[in-house]
Amino acid sequence: MFPQMSTGALSQFPLRKRRLTRTVINTTADGRTIKSQDMAAQTTEWQLQYTGLSDAELMTLARFFGSVEGSLNGFTFLDPNGNLLAWSDDPSQVQWQKASYLTLTGGGADPSGGMRAWHVVNSGAGAQSLTQTLNAPAVYVYCLSVYAKAAQPATMALLLGSHRAVCTLGADWSRLTLTGTGDVEATSVSFGIELPAGAAVDLYGLQVEPQASASAYKSSTAGGVYENAHFLDDAFTYSSTDVNRNSTTVTIVYANHL
Amino acid sequence: MATFPKLKTNAVAQYPVTRALRYQNQTVRFLDGTDQRYRDGSGPLHRWIIRLSALDEGELAALEGFFLTNAGQFGSFVFVDPWDGASYSSCSLASDQMDLTAVAEMQGQTSLTVVENRT
Repeated sequence: MFPQMSTGALSQFPLRKRRLTRTVINTTADGRTIKSQDMAAQTTEWQLQYTGLSDAELMTLARFFGSVEGSLNGFTFLDPNGNLLAWSDDPSQVQWQKASYLTLTGGGADPSGGMRAWHVVNSGAGAQSLTQTLNAPAVYVYCLSVYAKAAQPATMALLLGSHRAVCTLGADWSRLTLTGTGDVEATSVSFGIELPAGAAVDLYGLQVEPQASASAYKSSTAGGVYENAHFLDDAFTYSSTDVNRNSTTVTIVYANHL
Repeated sequence: MATFPKLKTNAVAQYPVTRALRYQNQTVRFLDGTDQRYRDGSGPLHRWIIRLSALDEGELAALEGFFLTNAGQFGSFVFVDPWDGASYSSCSLASDQMDLTAVAEMQGQTSLTVVENRT
């Protein structure tokens, strides 16, 4: 598992990301094109530049590089600049586990000026949850965030592994966050919300990030968990710029055909 | 059909933005030095180079999602010319590669080239 820094972040600025796809194009004499998509050739690269790493952070990174033997072995990498949840704007997708008494209605006005908010009603007699489980390292620090409001005073719990935080909702949009780690023994982490019986709330912008605080909301469809990512290089080079201050750059690549 | 995403300001592009149009003509040259020219396409095709900076994380993610939805240059979409508001019904991205840089918080950068397809 790729190590988080002592701050709980996975990377520093600047962060460079490259998306590569493959299209086979046959261009006819009059300039029209016939295109074929190579679905299995999508590649993503991240270039992570670290500066000011402590000796302990550098050694953790170096040990991890050694444990996967450079580019040889794969590991799970979480997009440091992405929303780890899949279909963050559409909880009706199969990636979401919805309790049976929850009713979801999309197309509501959201705080960003769009129409991507969801009205969620719990018509059951007990608490009902909406969660998504990620095959992500349980010992990471995660930040779950969501915009929520309720026309009538209501409470809602944020769920992060076994952690829960009960929040009171008002009539205006507010962003709720919960930071924590998963369960140490687990191989996956569940994130979501739980509504008490009879509650009706508006939700927008569910987001999970592998860091301690929430950044601006990023709508997602594919999610940000990349299993079987690799280092691009077999060499790990670093510089010590001062006492307990080190810098290095690593490039990580994920190809969906590997 | 999909539409090229707008920024939070409702703009499609930032300065500097580059626009080009290209005809497709053929020339047959003869031994005596004269030539004969003819049109090999039904009209000009447009191209826009859109360089974006100072993007927030949401805008950058929206552009990345648009690239993935189109699978690079495979998909086609409607593009509204930021110069004159003219709508081009079949356009594609020009490349299968997209580079995104987060220089700092709310300082994302990327560049996309849009080409008009011959229909």
